[in-house]
Amino acid sequence: MKNSRQKRNIFVHARPQTVPVASLRFRLTWGLGGAAVLMVVIQLVTGILLNFSYEPTAQGAYASVQHVHYDVLLGRLIRNLHHWTGHALVIIVFLHMLRVFFSSAFRGARHLNWVIGLSLFFLILLANFSGYLLPWDQRSYWAVTIATSMLEYLPGIGPFLLELVRGGSEVGASTLHIFHALHSGVLPFLLLFLMLWHFWKIRRAGGLFLEKGGDGDNKLIGTEGETGEKVGQKDGSLRLTARPHLFIREKAAAAVVLAVLFYVAIFFNAHLGAQANPGLTPETVKAPWYFIAVQELLIHLNPIFVLLILAPAVVFFLLFFPVLKSNNRFLRPLFIGLMAGYIILTFTGLCLRGPGMQWIF
Amino acid sequence: MADESKQLLNPVSNRRTFLNRLWLGLGLVALVQFIGGSLAFLISGSGKKRSDKPLFIEVGPAADFTPGSVTLIRRGELYLSRLKDGGFLALSRKCTHLGCAIAWDEEQKLFACPCHASTFAENGTVLKTPAPRPLDQHPLVIEKGQVKIDIKTRNRRQSFQPEQLTYAIKKG
Repeated sequence: MKNSRQKRNIFVHARPQTVPVASLRFRLTWGLGGAAVLMVVIQLVTGILLNFSYEPTAQGAYASVQHVHYDVLLGRLIRNLHHWTGHALVIIVFLHMLRVFFSSAFRGARHLNWVIGLSLFFLILLANFSGYLLPWDQRSYWAVTIATSMLEYLPGIGPFLLELVRGGSEVGASTLHIFHALHSGVLPFLLLFLMLWHFWKIRRAGGLFLEKGGDGDNKLIGTEGETGEKVGQKDGSLRLTARPHLFIREKAAAAVVLAVLFYVAIFFNAHLGAQANPGLTPETVKAPWYFIAVQELLIHLNPIFVLLILAPAVVFFLLFFPVLKSNNRFLRPLFIGLMAGYIILTFTGLCLRGPGMQWIF
Repeated sequence: MADESKQLLNPVSNRRTFLNRLWLGLGLVALVQFIGGSLAFLISGSGKKRSDKPLFIEVGPAADFTPGSVTLIRRGELYLSRLKDGGFLALSRKCTHLGCAIAWDEEQKLFACPCHASTFAENGTVLKTPAPRPLDQHPLVIEKGQVKIDIKTRNRRQSFQPEQLTYAIKKG
């Protein structure tokens, strides 16, 4: 089914020519990886547009964000889209990670790709965090103050790291410069590089991970009663051409994701409180929601234990558990426990804590 | 004939291999230099700036601050606490837990943090956790009856010591 147009099209060429029928099943991946890619593209485009109007100084940052939101044509929409897509991206990538784990798509040759994926997740968290400060309002100023202050608890190296991240002892103009440079320069570059590597590793590993013998029925959703055209067989599985079967599904998924994001961006404004005041801490100050689990832990446990033992242990486990045997009976419960713990702590910090981080009941 | 061709090939492939390895080695050296240089640049840039030198400001005559009073000094974002025995202490407004700005509660005679409810006494010692240590102290001098505070420098304390106080009249 090759033709000269297909050969020259870079988007088509970036895909395999044929895909297993089973990989087209929606419940295999829920389209999470693809949604994440689309969201990164949205962030890049909206971020570049916002950068033309943003002033990365302590004196001008807040006013420039107000200007974009209230004065610039479509500024509110672009800012809202950037804001909500950033948050949605964290959730989507987290769910993608869970999906990869539960479908065991991290073993053997895919272990390095699991590590790359994990690195992408941490980069996305950093990108969100660095962007959190840029509006320079009370919430962002104090949330970053609290989150960065946690570094000080690391023995020996803590104060040095704190000064390095903040560009000084306090969150101030230097911090804003550093965070802006990270957010708009360093992190997008690293994200793109790792994403390309991530895709290439997937192609090298043979595409989406399918359970052995799990070709299953070759009926496609939406084509009940029909069987896929048998283009050819590879490793005993029926395959279809990526174009149109894969592309049409990707377009449909992209349309849904875009519709949801635009709906939220149109009807829900990104938060912009009062301008940052280093002398006045609001009654309720919380770290950004994806770090609130750590803040919650710091309330209950010794900070040195959390930062020096617990956090590194969790990261080490996430990086290296794929080398454990697949029949290890602790693996699944431990992973589920970790994820559940993170969700519960996040919920607790977000919904059950009020002013002064006291219980609301 | 085959041996001759092999011999002909060998010097070329040896040279090629050598050059490839040389490129790789030099490339690695260049990469290490680039990373090292960048890190040195970033670390140096985040260090003490010219604006971080001590900066003493005059806050007023010592007699203006009654013993047992706590005064907010906005310019340095600090509190000037004069204890009952007359000793002065300049305390940072930053909570030692996670950096929130504390406020003085005149009724309860203590400093309270709005973020996680730590409280501190008028000499900066921790009354209620999770703050791990007393409030940081700014250097303070009294010259010709005028109280002067260094608003740029903050000193960590593990505990309150009487030597940290500054008196308008030296205790004999």
